[in-house]
Amino acid sequence: MVSARDGTMGGVNAPPTQAPPILHLSQVVGSPLRDSGGEQLGRVEDVIVRLGGAGYPPITGFLVNVAGRTSYVGAERVSDIGPDGVVLREPKLDLRRFERRPDEVLLRGDVLDRQLINVEGARLVRANEIELAHVAGSWRVVGVDTGPRGGLRRLLPKRLGAHIATGEFLDWASLEPFVGHVPTVRLRVPHPKLARLHPAQIADLVEAASRREGEEIIQAVGDDDRELEADVFEELDDQHQREFLEDRPDAEIAEIVSRMAPDDAADVVGEFDEERREPVLALLPVSQRVKVRALLGYDPAEAGGLMSPDFLLLGDSTSAGDALAAVRRSTIAPELLTTVFVSAPDGSLQGSVPVTALLRADPSQPLRELVKHEIPALSPDASFEEVARLMADYNLTAIPVTDEHERMVGVVTVDDVLEAMLPRGWRRRFGLLGED
Amino acid sequence: MAVKVPSAMRRVRSVTFGRPRLPARLSPRRARIFALLGLLGPGLIAANAGNDAGGVATYSSAGAKYGYGLLWTIVLITISLGIVQMLAARMGVVTGKGLAELVREEYGIRWSVLATSAVLIANLGICISEFVGIGAAFGLAGVPAQVPVPLAAIGIWLMIVRGSYRTAERVFVWFTIPFFAYPIAAVLAHPDWGQVGRAIVVPHIHVSSAYVLILIATAGTTITPYMQLYLQSAVVERGVREEDLRREEREAVSGAIFANLVAAFIIIATGATLFVHGVHEISSAADAARALNPFAGRYAEVLFGVGLLGASLLAAAILPIATAYVISESLGYEKGIGRRREEAPVFVSVITAMIAIGAFVAIIPGLPVISLLVGVQVVNGLLLPVNLYFIWRLSRSAHVMGERRTRPLLDLAMGATVLVCSALSLAVVAVTLASP
Repeated sequence: MVSARDGTMGGVNAPPTQAPPILHLSQVVGSPLRDSGGEQLGRVEDVIVRLGGAGYPPITGFLVNVAGRTSYVGAERVSDIGPDGVVLREPKLDLRRFERRPDEVLLRGDVLDRQLINVEGARLVRANEIELAHVAGSWRVVGVDTGPRGGLRRLLPKRLGAHIATGEFLDWASLEPFVGHVPTVRLRVPHPKLARLHPAQIADLVEAASRREGEEIIQAVGDDDRELEADVFEELDDQHQREFLEDRPDAEIAEIVSRMAPDDAADVVGEFDEERREPVLALLPVSQRVKVRALLGYDPAEAGGLMSPDFLLLGDSTSAGDALAAVRRSTIAPELLTTVFVSAPDGSLQGSVPVTALLRADPSQPLRELVKHEIPALSPDASFEEVARLMADYNLTAIPVTDEHERMVGVVTVDDVLEAMLPRGWRRRFGLLGED
Repeated sequence: MAVKVPSAMRRVRSVTFGRPRLPARLSPRRARIFALLGLLGPGLIAANAGNDAGGVATYSSAGAKYGYGLLWTIVLITISLGIVQMLAARMGVVTGKGLAELVREEYGIRWSVLATSAVLIANLGICISEFVGIGAAFGLAGVPAQVPVPLAAIGIWLMIVRGSYRTAERVFVWFTIPFFAYPIAAVLAHPDWGQVGRAIVVPHIHVSSAYVLILIATAGTTITPYMQLYLQSAVVERGVREEDLRREEREAVSGAIFANLVAAFIIIATGATLFVHGVHEISSAADAARALNPFAGRYAEVLFGVGLLGASLLAAAILPIATAYVISESLGYEKGIGRRREEAPVFVSVITAMIAIGAFVAIIPGLPVISLLVGVQVVNGLLLPVNLYFIWRLSRSAHVMGERRTRPLLDLAMGATVLVCSALSLAVVAVTLASP
C-alpha cells in the first residue's frame, strides 16, 4: 500500500528505523475507508493516538465520516493503512460514537499545525506534517516534518502531494506535544523528556511559549520534580516568574521559594506586592525567611541586592585540611563555594582563599598564611559598576560584602554580575522580551 | 546594617522588573515618563498607520467633495475600528499568539496560506505607496524623491532589524507626533465649528454613486487588515500579561479614537477650505496639501506635508513588520523585531525585501501610482472580510479564549461590523473591477 518513494529519505535527518516506510498523516486523512472487500464506506477524518507511554505513540483508532456522520473505528479492527485508504478486517462496519479515553489525542485536530517542544536543542517547532510508520507491531507516530515540504504537500492536491518526500524530519523521541488544549488529556500527560533539559533551557522554552503553553511546561515539570521546578523558576525572567507564581496559593509559592537560592528567592518575593510578601515569607522555613528578609532590605542594583547570604566563613587559625573538610560537609551550592572566606579572631573579615589554593596547600597550614590581604570587600550599598569593576580588576569569581563592622554579610558571584551586565539584546534567546 | 530602600525606589524596581540595569537606577521622574510611554503602544501605532498617504488622500477628497458631509460616518467607523482593534489586542494577550498563528492552528494550513498570500500582496502594494508618500512629502519642499526615499528605507531597515522591539516602538510613538499637524491645519482653516458639530451628529446622505464610493473608500482605508495583524503580533511580542488586559484594550481603543480624530480633522481642514472654494477633485495627499495653500496659507501646506511624512514613515515601517509576522507565524518560523538574520532568517528577509522593493519601485519616475492603489484596494477589499471573520470567530470561541471570549453584546456588535465592513469592501472590489 505504501509506495516505495515515500520510504526513501536521506541525510542526517533520516528516522532511526530505516526499514518501515513512512506514511504521511495528510495522505491518510481524507482517504477512503474500505471494507475487507475493497468497497468504499466513507472517509477518514482524523487519526487517534495514545500518548504517555514509552516509545512511539501507537494509533488506537480513527475518526471516520460515514454517510455524513462522524464515528469511531478502533485500530484493532483495521487491517491496513495506506495512502489508498484505511481497510477494515471485516466486510461489515460497526459504528460507534467516539469517546476520548485518557491520554488520547487527535493527530490532525490536536497536534498538526501546533507547536511542539523539540527537546534536542530546546526549541519550539511547528508540525507541518506528521509521519507515521509500522513499528514494533503497530502503526505509530514516528516523528513530524517541520520543513516547508510538509506544508507544501498539504497545500497541493493529493496526487501531486504524494510525490513530495519528507523534508526536515524530527524523531518523536525528542518531541513533546502541547496538550493543554485537548479536553481530557489536560494535566494528565507528563512530559518526561523535559527532564533531559537544563533548567535554563526549560526556562527559555517557557519564555518563548505562549502563556498557556508555558503553564503546561511548568505544571509538567512541577508534577515530576519540585526541585527542578524551583530551578526553572530561578532561571525565568522576573516578568514570567511573577506571571506564573502570582495565581498560586501562598503555600505553594512558599514551597517553591524555599527551594530557591536565597538571592533568587529574594528577587521573586520582591516582585510581589507588599500585601503578598508577608504571608509568603511567613510560610518559609526559618533560615530561608531570615535570609530573604535581610536581602529584601537592599537595593537590587547594589551589592546588597546582588549578593547571596550563603558562604563559608572560617576562623584564621583553621588548618587547610579542616577547611577542606568544612567544604565537603557544606550544603552550599557549588558556584557559591569556589572561595572560602577567613575571619580574624574579632569576627571581622580578613580575606579569602580559593578552594584550589586549599587543595594545593599543606593540610596543616593555617588559613591565616594562605589569605591574600589585598582582596577588597564591598559595602552593601556599593554600586553595581563598582562590583563589576573590582571583580574584573582583581580577577575574582566571588567577592565578599561586609557591613560597617567589617563583618561579612554575603558574597557576590560572577554569574550574578554577568547576568546583570549582559547587553539587552543578548539576554533573550527566542526574541522575547527579557528587555526592560 | 540593612540599608533601607526608600519607598520611591521600590516603585522604580517594579518598573525595571527588578533587575539591575547598567544605568543602575532610573530616577522616579524618568520612570513616570516610561510608564506614560507604555500607554502609547501598539494600538496607537497600528491605528495611526492608517492615516497614511492613501488615508490622507481619501479623507481630503471626502472633505473637498462633500464638506463635512462624511463626518458622521467617521463616528461609526471609529466604533467599528475600536471593537476590532480591541478584540485583536485581547486575543494577543490571552492566547499569546499572533492572528496568523491562531488561524493556522484552528482553521488549518490552507486558510492560513491563502490569507498569508493575500496579506503579502496587499501589504507590498501599500508599502510601495508609503514610500511614494515619503517621496511626495519631500516633493512638496522641492526635493526629488530619489534622495530621501532610499535614505528613509535604510533608516527604517536599521531600526527594525538592528534595534529592539522597545526602541522601535518608542520611535513609532514619536512618528505619531506629526499627526498633530492636522488639528492645527484644521484650526488654521477657520471652519464654522457649529456646522462641524451638527455634521458629526446628524447623518447626511447623498444618493449618488460617487458619495457611496467615497464612503466605502473611507471605511476601507480606516479599517485595514494589517492594523489588526500588527496589533495582535506586537501585543504578543510585548509580552503583555493577562492582568494588564484592560489597559491594553483601552490602549487599542484610544489608539483607534486618536487615529480617527486625525481623520476627522483632515476632513474638517479640507471641508472648510477646498469644499467652500469649489476645489472638489483631490487625487493624492500631496495634491491636498498644495490645494490648501491659497486658502489656508503656506503653513497649512507645510503642516499637511509634515503629517504626510510622519504617517508614511510610520506605515512604511509597520507594513514590513506586519507582513513578516504573518509569514513567520503561519509557516512556523522564528520571529521578532531586533532579531539578527542568523536567528530569524525568514522574518528578516521578508522585512528587507519589502523595504527594498517598496523604496525601489517608489523612485521609478512616472510610476502609475493610481492603478497601483486601485489594485491594492481590490486585494485589501477581499482580505478584510476574511480577516474580520477570523477575528470574530476566534475571539468568541470558548476553546481559544476560555473565560475571555467575547460576550453576546460585544459579539453582536462585532458580527455587525464584520457584516457591514465585508459588504462595503466587497462593494469596492465589485465597483473597481467593473470600472474600465
